[in-house]
This record gives sequence, C-alpha cells and structure tokens, in this order.
Amino acid sequence: MIGWMRSFVALLHDTWLEFIDAKSLWLVLLTIAVLFGVALTIHGEPLAAGRTYLDLAARSLSADTNDLDPAEVSLHTIATRLDGSISWIQSAEPIGPVMQPADGQPQDGPKTSWRVTLVRNTLPVVGKMADTNSIAARFGRVADGELWRVHAIRETTAPLAARLGSQRWEMVVNPGRDLTILWPHRLTLFGDALELTPPQGAPLGLEVFILQKLLATGLGGTALLLVSVVITAGFVPTMIRKGTLELLLARPVHRWQLILGKFIAALLFVAGMLGLLVGATWVVTGIVSGLWAPGILLAVVSLLLFYGLLLSVSIFAGTLTRSAPAAMLIAVAYWAVLFVVGILHAQVVASRVREDLTGRPRPLTVADALRGRSDPRAPLEPQKRPFHRTAAGRIVEATYRVLPHSSDLDAMVDRQLMRGFSVGGRMRQVLESGEFSWLGGMGLTVAHATAFLAAACVIFGSRDP
Amino acid sequence: MVDPVEVEAVVKRYGTAVALAGVTLRVGRGEIFGLLGQNGAGKTTLVKILLGMVAPTAGTARLLGIPVGTPSARRAVGYLPEDHRLPEYHTAASLLDCYGGLQGLPRSWRRQRAAELIEMIGLGQAHRLKVRNFSKGMKQRLGLAQALLHRPDVLFLDEPTDGVDPIGRKQIRDLLLAERARGVTIFINSHLLGEVEQLCDRVAILRKGKVVRSGSVVELTHRQHTWLVGFDRPVPDSSTWASAHLDPPDRNGISRVHLADEAALDLFLAEATGRGFAIRHLQKERGTLEDLYLQCATVPIGPHVASSVRCG
Ligand SMILES: Nc1ncnc2c1ncn2[C@@H]1O[C@H](COP(=O)(O)OP(=O)(O)O)[C@@H](O)[C@H]1O
Ligand SMILES: [Mg+2]
Repeated sequence: MIGWMRSFVALLHDTWLEFIDAKSLWLVLLTIAVLFGVALTIHGEPLAAGRTYLDLAARSLSADTNDLDPAEVSLHTIATRLDGSISWIQSAEPIGPVMQPADGQPQDGPKTSWRVTLVRNTLPVVGKMADTNSIAARFGRVADGELWRVHAIRETTAPLAARLGSQRWEMVVNPGRDLTILWPHRLTLFGDALELTPPQGAPLGLEVFILQKLLATGLGGTALLLVSVVITAGFVPTMIRKGTLELLLARPVHRWQLILGKFIAALLFVAGMLGLLVGATWVVTGIVSGLWAPGILLAVVSLLLFYGLLLSVSIFAGTLTRSAPAAMLIAVAYWAVLFVVGILHAQVVASRVREDLTGRPRPLTVADALRGRSDPRAPLEPQKRPFHRTAAGRIVEATYRVLPHSSDLDAMVDRQLMRGFSVGGRMRQVLESGEFSWLGGMGLTVAHATAFLAAACVIFGSRDP
Repeated sequence: MVDPVEVEAVVKRYGTAVALAGVTLRVGRGEIFGLLGQNGAGKTTLVKILLGMVAPTAGTARLLGIPVGTPSARRAVGYLPEDHRLPEYHTAASLLDCYGGLQGLPRSWRRQRAAELIEMIGLGQAHRLKVRNFSKGMKQRLGLAQALLHRPDVLFLDEPTDGVDPIGRKQIRDLLLAERARGVTIFINSHLLGEVEQLCDRVAILRKGKVVRSGSVVELTHRQHTWLVGFDRPVPDSSTWASAHLDPPDRNGISRVHLADEAALDLFLAEATGRGFAIRHLQKERGTLEDLYLQCATVPIGPHVASSVRCG
C-alpha cells in the first residue's frame, strides 16, 4: 500500500514537471491573467432608477405575482392578474445615501432609502380595503424577489377618502435583497474609456452573468481546456515511446497504474487550474460588481468533467497511435462533434419549449428544419411528440442519445447563474424546462470517460513494447 | 541457492518471424555475463522477456527464482535499455527521484542515494540542467544511474557502452566491477567484443535466436600450443626452425610460434639459444572473442550447432 502510494506520488511529480515544462501553458495562463487584469478595470455605475422600481412595486401590489419571474415582469402580465385595486406612488423623496456625481445633480442609487407616499384606490363598497400590515409585508415583493423592504409605515387615510375606497400611507422603504441585481448599471472598461452597455444601462445581474460566462466558461475556460488538451495529449505518447517506456516497465508497477496515474495526475493539475480560473472569475466579478452569487463555482465541476472526458479520449487515442499530434487531433475532433451535436440538440429543445410556452408559431429556424417543420403557419405539434421527422434530425437525435451530454453540464451551470442573477428571458425558460439535468449530463460523460480509459489500459497492457 | 537468471527453452515469435528459437541459459550469482550477437540476433528480446515486458511464446524464465512477468520479479532488478530516451523535462535529480518513487523507495533514502549516484557519475555540476540539454555520454551515465538506483541484485545492461567515449567506457567498467564486488549479477548485451572480453566472466553467443556457443571467456578463447615470442634481433629465416613452426614477425618483432605440444616449448627455447638469440618476450597466446565471434557468425548453422548448444 505504501509502495503503491509512492508510485502514485512519483507519477504525480513526473506529470507535474511535464506539465509545467510546456511553454504554451504559461502563454495561456499569462493571457488569462491579462484578461482578468482588464476585467478588474471594469467600473459599474448605477443609473437613477428608484422611481421606476418604486412604481413597479406599487403596481404589483394589485396583482398576485408570486409565481412570476422577476425578470419577466411586464405591465401586460401584471394587468392580467389585477385584483381590482390600483396603487401608485404619489410622491417619493430619496433620503440617502445618495450619489454625488462630480458634475450634475445628486442621484439615487440601489442603496438609497426613500420616503414614499403610497395611494391605493379600490372600488367603493365592493372593493376590499387593505390593512397596513399586509401593505408592509407585500410592498416591494415581486414574484420571488425582494426589491424593497418597508422600514416604517403609517396610514394617513382621510376619513372621507376611506369611504370612497382610497387609502394612503406614508412609508420609509429600504432597498431589498434583490434590488441591486435588477438595478440598471452603466459598465465601462479602463476607467471611463470604453462603454460596455447601452446608455440606459442594463441590469447588473445580467451584466455579471455575461461577464462570468465570458471569463470562466466562454473565453477563459475554452482557452484553458484547449491548451490543457493540447499539452496533456502528448503525455501518454511520450511515456510509451520506445526507449522511455522500457525505463518505466522495468519498475515494479503494473501497466494500468502508469496509464491511470497519468490520467489522475493530469486531471488534478487541470482541476487546480480550472479552480483558479473560476475562483478568479468569481472574485473579480464580485469585486467589480459587489454581487457574490456562487453559481459560477459549479463551472469547475462541468469543465472538469468535460476535460476528464477529453483526456480519456486523448489517452485512448495516444495509446492506440502512440502519436501526440494524432491524440490531440482526435480529442479536439471529438470535442467538435460534441459541441455541434450539443448545440443542435439544444436548439431543437429550445424550439419545442418555446412553442409549448407561447403557443405561437415563430419564424423558421435550423431547429425547425431538423424537426421537419416547413410551414411557419402550420399547426403546432402536440407537446413532447417525437420531434425528428427528417433524416438529419434523426441523426442528430441518435448521436445525441449515445454521446456524452456534456453540453447539458454547461446548461446546468447557466441555469444556476441565471437563477443567481435573476436573469430571465427565453433561454431561461428553455433551461428551466426540465430537459437538462446534472445526472443526464454526468452519467454518459463519466461512462464514456471510463470506457475510453479502460480500453486504453487493455490495449496498453496486452501489447509488446 | 537458485541462480538469479534462469531461462528454459524460451521461444519468441513475432507473427511468423522467429526472434528466439529455444534459448536455455543460466547466470550465477555475482557473475558478469555477456550475451553476444549481431543486430537482430534476439538479445534485446530475451532481456525484455526476462523483465516481463514481452510475453514468451513458449518456455519459462525466472528472475531470482520468481517467474517473470510480475512486478515482484522486477523489484530487485535494474535495467538499462538500449537506445533509451530519458524524459527530457527532468533534471538528473528529479528523474532519479521519480524512478525511485515508482520503485517504492522511501523519500529520504532515495534522495540520499540519488545525490550519491549523481556525484558518482560526475553530473554533480549539472544539477540544474534538464535532460534535453544533456550530451549522449551524460544521458548514458544517467541511464546507468537509474538502473543502479535501488541497489538491485541483478542488472541488465543492453548495449551499455554504445556511443560512449573511451574515458566514459572506462568509468562504466569500473562502476560495474564495483557492483560485482558487492555481489550483483550483471547481464550485458553487446556487440562490442573488446568490452565484453574485458568485463565478462562468461559469455554466450546468440545467432538468429539460438545460443551457438557459451562458456567462460578463458575457455572459449583458449588456443592450443601457440606462443608469442620476441628476440633481441630480427629472425632472418623463420621457416627453417626444427622444433616449431614460426610465423614471420609482426612490426613489433613478435612472432607466433606453433608447437606440436606443450613439451616442445623447451626444445624450441633450446634451439633459439643454440642459434644465438636472446629471448625478450614470451607469452602464451589466447584467441580473441572476436575470432570466435566471427567464426560463429560465418559458419552456417548446421548439426554442429546443436552440439555446441548442448555443451553450453
Ligand atoms: N515488436 C516486434 N515486432 C516484430 N518483430 C520484432 C519486434 N521486436 C523485435 N523483433 C524482431 O526480433 C528479432 C530480434 O530482435 P532483437 O531482440 O532486438 O535483436 P538484438 O537486440 O539482438 O539486436 C529481430 O529480427 C527483430 O526484427
Ligand atoms: Mg538489441
């Protein structure tokens, strides 16, 4: 057992030296470090939006919005849920803290508290009057989010007005837990040099969501995965090349220990780097935005599972061909196939889910072509019908069924991010549709990785060097 | 006590090609054994079978009494492969440390041993240098160090002095003799006959997968009744001697003397004195391994080969 551990630690040490010997690794790490340095110069400036969100809170008092996605709230959806009353903000006055831009007026922001006069009208006689406690509890709660929190409330309804169904409250409201996430911000890069958002700004949560995806799973993650695949694809061919392999095989270890040791070692190092990348993304976006939702940390799991799959493919190919370029190309080609199939499948799912949700025909997409829909005005297919009527569609579907659902893993991370930052929209609907799951993403990924690795061990174990 | 290396009727075929056609040999403890043969004779294949890297088609082999092919059979065995390529991203110290770990050696022990070996093979100055920048001779010496790392009881060296300069060869030779003095059994594959002759106690000559000669170096190179003689002045007519047949002298003035039997040496010496020559040099001649090797390599394999296999 001790000897076994020593062999493993030795392989770890060996792989580590081989890993840091690669120039390309340092190049990519440097690039990523620069990327993060640039990201650190991002500056977020909240725009004045207090009145908008106070109005929103007042309006939603008249509607039951508890099952609404805060990012999907619109006047239209609220109007369909009205209880017959109508509330509005008669006057609102920021009571600080307020921001003092260098030039121009003092301005409210997501940290500002307000003194508010709220008026609620309902139909005389038939309408129900609201009691102060329920207003205090409900004001600012929109769907599952908390925009405002009522700090102090006093009813100032005049007796005559009460008879006409009109009530009035004087309130002090503080920003709620989710206000900052939805608050429109202007993002700029390099001080004020580069505008990243339109003039009216965008919700801070959405901006951080995009930034995190870019840094951790998009640009940064892809670059790191690619360079890791390129570097580690050479490990096994180098180890088993003639003249080097003999030096190892003369040691009292089993051959599968060599393969497995290299696999685990490479996986550990890449896990460390991915941890750094994702952790740095979380910290950097946290620093520039003040939002610390931890959903992005799940990207370590999805990226690492995917890398483990690519690594075992490259080890299998490397054992078979004994050539580093071949192993690398095969692993990258496998990645490309997974990527394309994953995207096409996600498109098909999105197309079906949206149709189910909206009940409206839409312009035709690639996904529709795969599903065999050719007439945009044709009646919709019933829910969950087999949606591949074309040969191409069936091929995509069949390929998707047998290949690892690694794109599902990305979808799970995206879903977590969207929840954490209250990002809505059609993509959110698709991701929440139940088509994607951690288990579905992991199951075939782990199974494929294991199969490739086992095949590599068998081939390697039964061949004369 | 069992012999460290036992090979019993081992056959190895690659497809239809026969690499080993039934080899039987034993190497005793503390012996330096030389396996000679042309390229392609099957030397490397035999060593790989012994180390469990290649499965024999037929026959059995044991290392230190343990059937080959299991990790435990390799535990006390050191190996220097031919044309080895050490991983280039290592320094001498990190390489020895990794191999020591794979060998299962404790950390402090292998650190100390690695430092000692690096000093011994003269790489102490190059401790920051990576293998990629090593010269051929440095690589060969580091290769030898990794084979000696765990103080093995049996050492397999496949062409150990290939591409090493004469001083390096001398160092390697001294190192191996020191190992033998510790009781290590050394198995050398080589086609460099001079080397083998200087080092080995016993040799076998392999040809096309068969052992065609084996025995101690003294035995194999023994020549009957031939002496080398040098006189104080040139011999004018070497063909007219009565007691022996005398070859013309070489450029150092040494002549080969062919006698009828060993007793004839006295007659020859008396005749020389009678002719007025003073003897300055007298030595029993031995054949070289090279002669034997060339003879083995050129003689067609026939029935007599079988008999020499048996006598080995
Ligand atoms: N992996 C292999 N596949 C096919 N033939 C091989 C293989 N390894 C060795 N041989 C053949 O076996 C014979 C013996 O080779 P080898 O043991 O390397 O000889 P030596 O070491 O004496 O030069 C050669 O004819 C060689 O071509
Ligand atoms: Mg050889």
